[in-house]
Formats: sequence, structure tokens, C-alpha cells
Amino acid sequence: MAFDAQLTVTGSTAKITLTGSLDAASAPRFKEIVEQAAQQKPTRLVLLMNDLVFLASAGLRVLIFAKQKMGTGVDIYVVGSQGPVLGTLEMSGFHHSVFIQDTYAEA
Amino acid sequence: MKQLCVPATLDALEEIGKYVLDATSQAGLSPKAAYGLRLAVDEIATNIITHGYDEAGGSGDVVVNGELTADTLTIVLEDTGVPFNPLDAELPGEEELSLPLEERAIGGLGIMLVLKGVDSFDYQHVGGRNRNIFVMNRTAA
Repeated sequence: MAFDAQLTVTGSTAKITLTGSLDAASAPRFKEIVEQAAQQKPTRLVLLMNDLVFLASAGLRVLIFAKQKMGTGVDIYVVGSQGPVLGTLEMSGFHHSVFIQDTYAEA
Repeated sequence: MKQLCVPATLDALEEIGKYVLDATSQAGLSPKAAYGLRLAVDEIATNIITHGYDEAGGSGDVVVNGELTADTLTIVLEDTGVPFNPLDAELPGEEELSLPLEERAIGGLGIMLVLKGVDSFDYQHVGGRNRNIFVMNRTAA
């Protein structure tokens, strides 16, 4: 399934909707969107992952990049990830550093 | 199972992923097991393409073979890139995995996912070819 990432910024919240497969081939596109989001200097990065069907370590590395690029003051929310995608996030210990939610409640 | 031979480029990951998912469906693996195998093969294929060929200034193919027996599904990736045994890689420990993201090192995650995703993994270097071998038990719950 082809990858897509869409950015919307509202106030100090940047939201990225991820769909399809996030692997090493599509990670550069995700990284580009994260860089665009970082330029807006958000205090909250929300990743909507309901329709993300595959997540490889190249995608995880972009999440690490996002945190390092935006700084520790930015909270990262991972919303709607399920099944094995959520399993990969947990296996990699990312649940210690990001807020994992089923649905997103607006700040 | 029919052999798949693709050029070693990141665009080939999708085709490799489809091959693996077709094989898991023939093997009747659970969705969770199928995902684990696809992820494991994707991670190793990515390493082969990026480190084995691209960064070394080389080019070539990745050959994928699947073998189904009564008890197991085996996927073998073969390439002629720089020899690399994933089993020699240093994996992140529990302490590293619980660090905040901003303090995390980048390496080792992919291979950890490989080893967690499959029932058994092996690497061989035979006749100038790397062979990465992934085995899934068909009888596992």
C-alpha cells in the first residue's frame, strides 16, 4: 500500500496523517514532512496512524529524528496505531517517550 | 515457490513485501506471524540494499526464495553485496530501549525487530553470496 503523509498545523499543534507502508523507501518523505512541521515550531506533534499498515525501523528512526529536531519540549502523540504497528512501537520502547492514544482529544 | 529476483533498490521493498505476504498466506500463518516475517525480511533487505550495495558503491540484485514444508515456511534472501552477519550486530538492551527518544542511538533496532519477528533466523556466507534465512513454524499458535 502506497505511503502518504499529510501535514496540518493548527495553532501550536502539528498533525501528520500517515497512511500505507512506512519503510526505508517511504521514510524520506515522512522525514520531509517532519521537517516542514518543525519549521512551524509546534509544542505538540500528533501522528495519526489509523491507516498506517506497516512500520519498519526506518520509520522509527524518523520519530527519533523528530524528537531530536523539535526538542524535548515538544510532546509527541501517536494516535490510532493498532495491531502489529503498535506492537513494534512498544517492542522498541517508544511508549516510554510518546503518548499513545486510541483517539485524539484536541488540546 | 517461484523465485523473485529484484534490483537492489529501496523501491523493490514493496515487491519483496508482497512476495513474503503471498508466501505467508500459502502457509496459512496468522496475521501477526505474517507481519513479523514481512517486517524481518524488510529490515534485512533494507540493510542489504543500503549497506551491502549502495554505501559500498556497488549494485546488484536481491534474490528471494520461499520454501514451504508441512511444518515450516522458509524465506531466503541472497545477495552479492558486502558480507554482513546480522547476528554480529549489537542490539539495544532494555536500558537503551527505555531511554527517552532524544537520547536514543539510531542503530540496532531493525535487527532486534528481525529476531523478534521470526521463529528462527540464520546467516551464511557461501560462495561469495550472503544468505539470510528466515524460518516460521506453521504449527505455532
